[in-house]
Amino acid sequence: MPADAAALAALLRQRLIVCVGAGGVGKTTTAAALAVAGALGGRATAVITVDPSRRLKDALGLGELSNKPRSVALGNGVARLDALALDTKRTFDRLIARVAPSSAVAERILANRLYQELSSELGGSTEYMAMETLHELLHEERYELIVVDTPPSADVRDLLSAPLRMTELLASQAIDFLKAPAAIITGNESRLMRMTLGAVLKALESWTGLTLLRELADFVSGFEHLVDGFRARAGGIAQALHAPDASFVIVTTAEPPTIAATRVFDRDLRAGGFPIGGTIANRVYEFPPLAATAGRQVPAALREKLVANYADFAALAARDRAALESLQRDTGTPLLATLPALEEPPTSIAGLRAIAARLARAESVRRPGAAGGPPTGTVLR
Amino acid sequence: MGGGFAGSRGCLRQSRLNARLRRPYPAAMAVPPLLFVTGKGGVGKTTVAAALARRLARRGRRVLAVEMAGDGSLAALLDQHALPTQPASVAPRLHGVRIETRALVESYFRRLLRLPFLSRRLFASGTFHAVTAAAPGVTEFVVLDHLAQWTASGWLGRRAAYDTVIVDGPASGHALRLLRAPRQLGALVGRGPLASTVNRLTTLLADHAHTGVLLVAIPDDMAVSETLETRATLDGLGLRLTRPVLNRVWPRRFSAADAEAVAVLRARRDEPLLAAAALEISGRREAERHLGRLRRAFGSAPLPLPEICRGTVDSAAIAALGRSLERALVGHAS
Repeated sequence: MPADAAALAALLRQRLIVCVGAGGVGKTTTAAALAVAGALGGRATAVITVDPSRRLKDALGLGELSNKPRSVALGNGVARLDALALDTKRTFDRLIARVAPSSAVAERILANRLYQELSSELGGSTEYMAMETLHELLHEERYELIVVDTPPSADVRDLLSAPLRMTELLASQAIDFLKAPAAIITGNESRLMRMTLGAVLKALESWTGLTLLRELADFVSGFEHLVDGFRARAGGIAQALHAPDASFVIVTTAEPPTIAATRVFDRDLRAGGFPIGGTIANRVYEFPPLAATAGRQVPAALREKLVANYADFAALAARDRAALESLQRDTGTPLLATLPALEEPPTSIAGLRAIAARLARAESVRRPGAAGGPPTGTVLR
Repeated sequence: MGGGFAGSRGCLRQSRLNARLRRPYPAAMAVPPLLFVTGKGGVGKTTVAAALARRLARRGRRVLAVEMAGDGSLAALLDQHALPTQPASVAPRLHGVRIETRALVESYFRRLLRLPFLSRRLFASGTFHAVTAAAPGVTEFVVLDHLAQWTASGWLGRRAAYDTVIVDGPASGHALRLLRAPRQLGALVGRGPLASTVNRLTTLLADHAHTGVLLVAIPDDMAVSETLETRATLDGLGLRLTRPVLNRVWPRRFSAADAEAVAVLRARRDEPLLAAAALEISGRREAERHLGRLRRAFGSAPLPLPEICRGTVDSAAIAALGRSLERALVGHAS
């Protein structure tokens, strides 16, 4: 299971890196570490993070969530890294204001009761915002490398099709239907049927107590004005994601459920024609079989506990190694790097730099399980 | 509980902390007829739901396990390739079913419209699904209505179809949406048949003798924070919460003196043997911190479930988890 140093080096020469993967795999931290590696490699870099943990926000020096780039102090005075942290709860209001043709339209939507109920939950809005922010940064051409963290979509297709889906929903017949429900009966349908439909809609209105359908119609027709704005952006984003200077990185852990999810991500990305740069495995246990001389200096009682404990970690390490090997074999996707399980997640820029350093010198990453060398569970402390 | 899991060692061993949790709970704290198991993605909701469903069925209850995710993960833990959309037996007294949201919504409106040709046209237009997906609470309302049928008692006091319905997931964000739907819809609809169903479901969810929510977390800042936020919201909705579960807790293998000795030894000369111990010590310390956070927020002791170190979660491990869950929730051991 050697990490593919050449593939990692190629990845860090790209202009756009999109990190995808199941929830809870350390995607955001990995995206941040890749960005740090890029910046330390001398490229003007931006990282877009989604819902970062407080620790990671601290590590990046981000006081609060912001859709504007903030400069990250890397400590060497040369490397340039900006970070953005998307606030997924409040982004949609801003988006509406941005794409609405007039402030009156925006106000009408924002005031709608259904919109207020829905705004934090609207299908794909988080996914859309990550892509939307990316679109802006690409357009500005201030950065040589942009690393994008993505929300934990169960389905990678949801994420990547978000801009298009948003457009489709808005352009769908839903709007026409709600404005004139009888429109779904077309052409040479009988008059009887039109009358029946009218009766059914009346029944539906009394069933819902009248208000629901009308508010819904008002809500959807408000959105109608946004279609052009969404559509233009969707095209630009799709193009950038398929470009030769873009690569997707699938972040995973070696745990069985995550590996299963990662296989699905891999398959869906390939099916969608997206360029896959490789896999990065996080929180991997790397404990080789114990040397006979291990812990000779330790008192016997403690040594016994240490050895029993080590047996579990060695079992986990064997499990991880087997899982990653079979993943690589089955998908054919290069394994860019394995990052060890840490005693604590990085809370400072130094912690991120340590991970970045490990990424940047992938060629020196030991084969997990090989004897010798420092224990990898601790090198990053 | 100190005896731990049969045939296990190391991280499969129950933590010492559990000894304090053995106090029996009053009968009122037993598992409610309708129990939602939820938490952040990847915390082991499905494992917890499957373990509890298997255990309660073994103990004589008629149990229905409900898969919301549609990814076959619950099916796999019930030794099935896939679960059907109508309840089917998977073990003695244990049935499994999968929720197919779109089909449910269609059949609901088909019944409502009564005219097959009209509903066919409506569903084929694509419009219908766009509208129901956008309308707040409609899909969730239909799903809840569907779930409620299995715990409702029949005519003339006939028993409900199941003693316990255990719903696996969805993840907390979606679960909140599901559990909030009747209220949300209630605020929008006027009088009429829909309003009376909405009222019935609202009452059912708020009935502490009928409905409960089991929140699952792992020792991770974001997972526990999400659990605390979910708890606050559900509490506000008047829903009953069981004791929370903290999954994947490392056992306490090393005393404070051991930890100190390990630190001293590592400073002198590090080696993998010591690094593994340090990883375990910090993992355990982190878990205890999160157990404390949960205890303070819930006002009841969280149930720690052990980290499983082997490659697969086998049936012995599931059975052991089920016993722990039963003890914690029902309050009596086998």
